[in-house]
Amino acid sequence: MYCINCGVRLCDTEKKCPLCNTVVYHPDIKQKDVTPLYPVNKYPKQKPPSRTFNGAVLFLFLIPVIISFISDMKVNGRVTWFGFVAGAMGLFYVAFALPLWFQKPNPVIFVPVNFGAIAIYLAYINFAINGDWFISFALPVTAGIGLIITTLVTLTRYIKKGWLYIFGGCVIGFGAFMLLVEWLLVLTFGISFYGWSFYPLVAFVLLGGMLIYLGINKSAREIMERKLFF
Amino acid sequence: MKNKKRPLRWVRLDNAAKIYPAAIKRNWSNVFRQSMTLCEEVDAEILKSALDITVKRFPTIAARLRRGVFWYYLEQVEKAPRIRDEKSYPICFMSKDEMRKCAFRVIVYKERIAVEFFHSLTDGTGAMIFLKTLVAEYLEQKYNIEIPCENGILDRREKPKPEEIEDSFLKYAGKVAASRKDTNAWAMSGSIQTDGFLNLTCFTMPVKDALDLAHKYNVTLTVFISAVMMKALINLQNEKNPDITKHKRVKILIPVNLRSLFESKTLRNFAMFTVPEIDPRMGEFDFSEICKIIHHKMGLEVTPKNMASVIATNVNDEKNLLLRIVPLPIKNIVMKAVFNSVGEKKSCLSLSNLGAVKLPEIMMEYVKRIDFILGVQAAAPYNCGVISFKDTLYVNFIRNIKEPDLERHFFAVLREMGARVTVESNRNERC
Repeated sequence: MYCINCGVRLCDTEKKCPLCNTVVYHPDIKQKDVTPLYPVNKYPKQKPPSRTFNGAVLFLFLIPVIISFISDMKVNGRVTWFGFVAGAMGLFYVAFALPLWFQKPNPVIFVPVNFGAIAIYLAYINFAINGDWFISFALPVTAGIGLIITTLVTLTRYIKKGWLYIFGGCVIGFGAFMLLVEWLLVLTFGISFYGWSFYPLVAFVLLGGMLIYLGINKSAREIMERKLFF
Repeated sequence: MKNKKRPLRWVRLDNAAKIYPAAIKRNWSNVFRQSMTLCEEVDAEILKSALDITVKRFPTIAARLRRGVFWYYLEQVEKAPRIRDEKSYPICFMSKDEMRKCAFRVIVYKERIAVEFFHSLTDGTGAMIFLKTLVAEYLEQKYNIEIPCENGILDRREKPKPEEIEDSFLKYAGKVAASRKDTNAWAMSGSIQTDGFLNLTCFTMPVKDALDLAHKYNVTLTVFISAVMMKALINLQNEKNPDITKHKRVKILIPVNLRSLFESKTLRNFAMFTVPEIDPRMGEFDFSEICKIIHHKMGLEVTPKNMASVIATNVNDEKNLLLRIVPLPIKNIVMKAVFNSVGEKKSCLSLSNLGAVKLPEIMMEYVKRIDFILGVQAAAPYNCGVISFKDTLYVNFIRNIKEPDLERHFFAVLREMGARVTVESNRNERC
């Protein structure tokens, strides 16, 4: 049996040519029932993440939390600054230790989860110090940055080409987001509108535009490669 | 009277083996496989019994990896490991946990007996002696025949000999140390198989055809296959980047069995390597030129004196007092960093030819086929093991990327010469 595309002689076990992926098929030749070189669809068990190790990491995180709680209660007789410590430790845990529990942590899920945790922590600080900046400022800013970074991570993870367009688009989006940040600052804290956000907007639009231009123009890309990497 | 248990034998890792435990990664360890395909389906019960007897004869191969304060060491296993079923791909990841229990595996699939070895245990030659002896014991038990202890088959009733356990690197290190200076090679790339699957592509061709072609160019079979590989690599690089001025050096690491240069009967690692190279920027190389380059490079380097000086370089590092007194965890970090930055950047891939395997006459009729498969390198996606048995040459490519580009070019080079090549693979349901 020979591959009709590349001409290599195929073993009877082959259903597709291992060199060019052409399907082995001839209406007049019945394929023999032969044992494949290796068993089909039999894979080694993936080792689950170590529970002992992850438990030890959790314990290490809990030690400063417990010590802070005891100290706060001992000194102040109630929860005061403990909440900030616990929140900060929680943030670190979600960012660095929580993914360890999963065999293949997906950044498309964990990035928004991290921003969700940041939003909750900021909400706690806002309410603990009786601030009124969370809904009107911290939440939309966190959500905006989270949205841009999640979009970037998702697109680069699932689309294998056109990264210059993706990064370019996200950089421009980040520039536009600066306008929103300034407007929210004015709205929340009552400071006057200076228009400083136009400077980063122009810089980010230029940078993002350049990345998109490099994506479109091959010769410009080659010139940049030569200038930057050789 | 109390039955006193003999303490388990332990040995220091040999000079070549020291780097491998330090270099282990989360999903990579340096493991290779040898297998024999018999004429009838393997009886796992009899194989287990044969393995129980064989492991006692090979205390440094039937061993597990243990940690000392300053170095790793090998400790003989108390009993043979269980026999495993085959998976859809060879050389599945061997973790440190597994090595702590036993650093080799015996795998059965239909008529095939395969053994996978962590490279710290032994090299290809030592592994082949183990496999031959295991299969000989199995055949003796199954068919009630007597197989003479020749052609690399050891007598299981004998005790292990001191010369089989020695670290021959220490014995044959030269007085002058060779320089380690070397250039980096072209790094192949592709879409990595994220699930750890390894694609195996096996080319088979009549040994006579391969030898005729090799003799046409006045070279050995190893040089011929290496030249085909070199040509395939040059063509592949050309396909990926047609601008020849930007090409990187094409280099192949060819292991050399030092037992053919020095008087050694060790069953542990005793191999060095030579790395023929071509700089494609110099212009187009025709096949006979490539053959000459590899032939002369090997002629120049594969000599007892040159190899002794290369051994001396490695042995000097091992004897360095500062390195010896550093605790193992720190040593591991340093060795891993050295391995990652230098280790595998000096060649595109390894091409290891174990040569023609000979078995006692009576055993020949029971064994249909022998394979030799290297695991992929830590950084490079390919490796290649070559072996010949009876009238057939087996060239096993292994890769952890999806694209079979190198195999395609390898076949194209052979096809141009009119070689009759058959191909088979392990990915029937995955294409």
